[in-house]
Amino acid sequence: MASASENIQPTRGELLKLKRRIDLAKRGHELLREKRDALVTEFFDNLDMLRGKREDVEEKLDRAYEALIDAKVSDGSSELEKSALASSGDIEIDVDSRNIMGVRVPIVEAGEGVERNVTERGYSLQETSSNIDVAAEKFEEALKDVLELAEAEEIVRRLAREIEKTKRRVNSLEYVLIPRLENNKEYIEMRLEEQEREDKFRMKRVKQKMEREEAEA
Amino acid sequence: MIKRQIQNLNRHLPKGRVTLENLLKQEKPRVENRDGDSHRFKRRELNYLSEILPPEKHSKLRLPIIIRISPDLGRGATRISGDVEKEVLRKILEKEEEEGEDELILYRPEIRIVRKKLPTTTQYAFMISSTKGEPDERNR
Repeated sequence: MASASENIQPTRGELLKLKRRIDLAKRGHELLREKRDALVTEFFDNLDMLRGKREDVEEKLDRAYEALIDAKVSDGSSELEKSALASSGDIEIDVDSRNIMGVRVPIVEAGEGVERNVTERGYSLQETSSNIDVAAEKFEEALKDVLELAEAEEIVRRLAREIEKTKRRVNSLEYVLIPRLENNKEYIEMRLEEQEREDKFRMKRVKQKMEREEAEA
Repeated sequence: MIKRQIQNLNRHLPKGRVTLENLLKQEKPRVENRDGDSHRFKRRELNYLSEILPPEKHSKLRLPIIIRISPDLGRGATRISGDVEKEVLRKILEKEEEEGEDELILYRPEIRIVRKKLPTTTQYAFMISSTKGEPDERNR
């Protein structure tokens, strides 16, 4: 309370201003708390999705590496390397952004060319076995999921950062600003009541004095 | 400072919403936000919406669908307005239409289902009550 009294004018105007500020701070606090809750929900939903996606990717990559080993056994390392080098075409990955409650998060989408058929891959079909086709197909399949995983991981990371920030704002309003404003309000109310009492007392004394003067006259 | 924080809560909202019909025609479907950034929609979601809505309503559905969080309804409650928007969400949630319903009121568990299905085609908006029970239009 002692600190509340510093730099505060105990006037009715100031009290009115303070009441408006408290009202605004409480509404801001409500909204920020809603934002924090919504962010936490989004965070956990994305985290669940991320876990599932990671398992999918690991499984698909396991299968792809098994197929690669089969291809290596059947075609040999040099043939496999030759096919890899001959494999042509750029993979189109579309990276953009979207917004979740003010948090800018990426959107990563696989464009055309991620999943190709055997004729589009560019290596010789006569000189290679179908094991290379299977391995390529499985890696292409896994790549699509890897992109989705990258997107989900970044979303979770950015949401976690925003939750921290929003939490700090909610706490500073709840535990610092609103109590301080309430304290100031109480201080002004107390001072105004005091002034009122003093005024009443003074008026009483003036009245008594006037009455006494009248009686003497 | 508080005022600025409240104002900033809705800066991620789009300057204007775009119809599903127009977004389906765009190669990279997106809208511009109030903060100058852009918000990209996932093609997969747009296709899903075009499947659950009859074609004549594609020009009536404006995206993103705004999920309005208004604390005057209680913690975790949201409002959705717009006839086609409400229809879409009711279909997703398998909810019946209530008589005389102006706005669709959804609670957190329902919103989670909606957001899982439509993460890019829905957006949250934060509403401040000007007087008790009356949402402030300036914050839309």
